Order: sequence, then structure tokens, then C-alpha cells
Amino acid sequence: MKRLMILCLLAGGLMACQNSPQPSLYEEIGGTQTLDKVFGLAVNRIYNDPRLGPHFEGVPRNHLRKMLTEQTCALIGGPCTYTGKSMQESHQERNVTTAEFYAVVEHVQQAMRLIGLSYQQENRVLAALAPLKRDIVYQAGQE
Amino acid sequence: MQKKSLMTLTFLVLSAKVTATGSSLVATGGITSFEGTAGGGITPWAMIAGYGSREEIAGTAALQQLDLGEYQLRTFGAAVGIYDRVELSVQRQNLKIGSGIVGNVFNLLTAGAVDTAPGTDIEQDIVGLKVKLFGDAIFDQDTWIPQVSAGVQYKKNRDFATSLPLSDGTIPLPGTGVPMLLGAGEDSGTDLYLSASKLWLGAAMGNNLLMNLTARMTKANTFGLLGFESATDDGYKLEWEGSLALLPSPSTAIGVEWRTQTNRLGGLAEEKTVTDLFIAYFPSKDWSLTAAYVDLGRLPFDEKASGLYLSATVNL
Repeated sequence: MKRLMILCLLAGGLMACQNSPQPSLYEEIGGTQTLDKVFGLAVNRIYNDPRLGPHFEGVPRNHLRKMLTEQTCALIGGPCTYTGKSMQESHQERNVTTAEFYAVVEHVQQAMRLIGLSYQQENRVLAALAPLKRDIVYQAGQE
Repeated sequence: MQKKSLMTLTFLVLSAKVTATGSSLVATGGITSFEGTAGGGITPWAMIAGYGSREEIAGTAALQQLDLGEYQLRTFGAAVGIYDRVELSVQRQNLKIGSGIVGNVFNLLTAGAVDTAPGTDIEQDIVGLKVKLFGDAIFDQDTWIPQVSAGVQYKKNRDFATSLPLSDGTIPLPGTGVPMLLGAGEDSGTDLYLSASKLWLGAAMGNNLLMNLTARMTKANTFGLLGFESATDDGYKLEWEGSLALLPSPSTAIGVEWRTQTNRLGGLAEEKTVTDLFIAYFPSKDWSLTAAYVDLGRLPFDEKASGLYLSATVNL
């Protein structure tokens, strides 16, 4: 260990001696595979929630699952490009209340816990998603 | 009264399962400060009381006790949060003062002629109003802008002029309460404050971090428990309050707080900066429990006024 530290100093920088570069949050949680599980579960919970289900009438579960996975992947450092509509655009038809928005957040939180993300990973994912709130709630009639 | 409110609180906790407490996320309503306002233990936060979202009205009922030995501070009250925008609160504070302290006061006043007297208490009522001005403490994670609220606390000391009896029942100084004896000039006052709060999701090795800063304009002496203003000083003073909390689990917050005081009266009523170290537990959206070690700095004849603080909040 001591020898390794000396080697590091000789190499002229700590960065050079790290075994591997710091993985992104995306890699840390297990990539698209994990996100797909999380949103599979979350979407089921959302569709089964009587407060939320009606908002998604006509939206296929798999489409929503794919879009949420893709969007989150892109937001947490994964190699994805979000191909869906903007949050403002996709929430213009129905006026989403903050109560409904918080209910969705709770389902996503629960799904992350059930799939096995740590509380710390869950917080970091939420930090990336949180700013979407302002483009999701009360968008009807907004341009 | 304390027993009654404790029973009410217990009942509310037990019946909480049948009530909806609002849609906001757990722990985001903070706890209830000893002045009745949603916040930390000793300072308001910018959050609106309860778990009500922008479409909901929700409330809290809370009870606090600070054990300082010769002094016991017991407080209780209720708050209602309206559409996550406006908070109204009422609070009753009761500061019980042991006979040893009152005896010391008489000893000093009479140059040693009288040195025993029964204990007494000082009560104060606080009516609070808080309005959220801008910002979203939790969801605006892509900007440093905090949630900011402005508030007022109207405080009325009920024992400003309640005279102290001696052990034999005689009243040596009629119409003169403890706050007057210590030099306070008024029995009521209105505090004005601005609070800025921000939760940083995942900021501390993945754990959430909460920061709050409050600026308060006040004329109060020791929160108003020792009255307001003095014979020579009736102006507002600016005081600062802060909280820093770490949430190591979804249901736990650990933190520190501080609050500066004016020290307008000096002498026996000297005021120092208040600090505390707290742990809050949010088992569900129905209720929370907080334990803290509070250092009030100084109270008359108590150089080290510090002790255990317990606080329970029920969400309605």
C-alpha cells in the first residue's frame, strides 16, 4: 500500500493512479437494465393508482417505460438520447397538479428502493429528475 | 393544560391512520419550532407547515419541552398550511421558573432581607403568519436559488405585569412582573423575518443536505419571554438564525442550529447566542419526533441554561 502511494507520488498525480475512472451514476446503478426495471415497476404502480391512472389513458405502458428510461439515462450520465416529446409539450393536454406530481415521485422512489438502489443512489437520481417539475405541473394552456 | 394537550396529541397520533396528511414528500414539511412556526427547533424555515401541496390545505399540531433544570419551557400549538403558500400558526409558551431563581431575584432586590419565594411562570402567546415568496426548496435542483418566505410573529407576554408573591402571600411590588423587573418596556412585540431554505438532494455522499438562513427583525428580550424593548431602547434589531441538517435516511435528519439574540437588557437578563444539536425522526407523514440538546446561553441566575429538548409534531 505504502509502495503504491509512493508510486502515485512519483507518477505525479493521484488521477493517474486510480484503478479506473469514477463511474457515472448511470454505470453505478447498473445502467439501462436497472432503469428499465425501475420504470417497469414505477409505471405499473402509476397506472394502478386511481389518482394517476386516468392521466395516462391511451398511453401504452411500454412506451412510457421506454421514454422514462431513456430520459433518466440521459440525465444521469448514460449514453442515451431522449427521443420523446419535451416535458412541457407532453403535459399540455392534462393539467397535472403538484399533488399528482408528488404521487408519481413517490412511486418512482418506491420502485428504486424495491429494485435495490441505495438511498444515496436514489437521492442522486432524484436530484437529476427534480428540475423537470417546473415543466410538468400546470402546463395546460402554457406555451 | 399540558396533560390535556398531550392526551389530544396522543389521540391524534393514534387516529392519524384515518386522516390524509397531504401529498408532499415525507420530511419536507420540517418540524415545528418552539415559536409554532414550521422550521427547525429554534428557527423558522421557508417551508409551509404540513404536507399540503399547492391544491391542499393541511395542518400540524405540536408540543415541545425544554428541560433546563430550574427553568422548564413547555410550548404547544397548531399551524395550518394553505395551498403550500400561506402558513398561520398559534402557539402558547410557558416558562416555569423554580423557587430558587425567584428567591435569588428577591435576595438581590432587597439586599438580602428576603431570600425565599415561591416559583412562578411566564406565559406568552404567539400568532404567526408566513408567506412563501418564491423558489422550490426541493425541486429546483439545477439552481442555487433557495425557497424564500417572509413571516411575522406577533408575541404577547401574558405575565409582563404579573407581580411575584412572597412565601407568606404578600406582594411587595404590585403590578410588576419578571420582564418589568428585568427592565423590559413593553408586553408585546412583532418579529419580522425572512427565511431562505434549500435541500440539496444527494449532496453529501448521496445523502440530502438542508440549509436554512433566517434574518429576523425583533424587539424581543429572550424571545419575548422577558418582554420587549427597554426604557432606553425601543428600536428593531437584526438577528441571524441558521440550520444545517443532514438526512442520512429517508426518515432521519441530524443537524445543528444557531440563533443570535439582541442582549438589549443586559445584566441579569443577558442574552447569548442559542445553539442546538438535533435528531429528528419521521416514521411516516403522520408524525415526527425530535430530540435535541439546546444551549440557550444564559437566563437570569442560570449561567449555563442548557438541556434536553423534545418535540413532537402531528400532521393533519
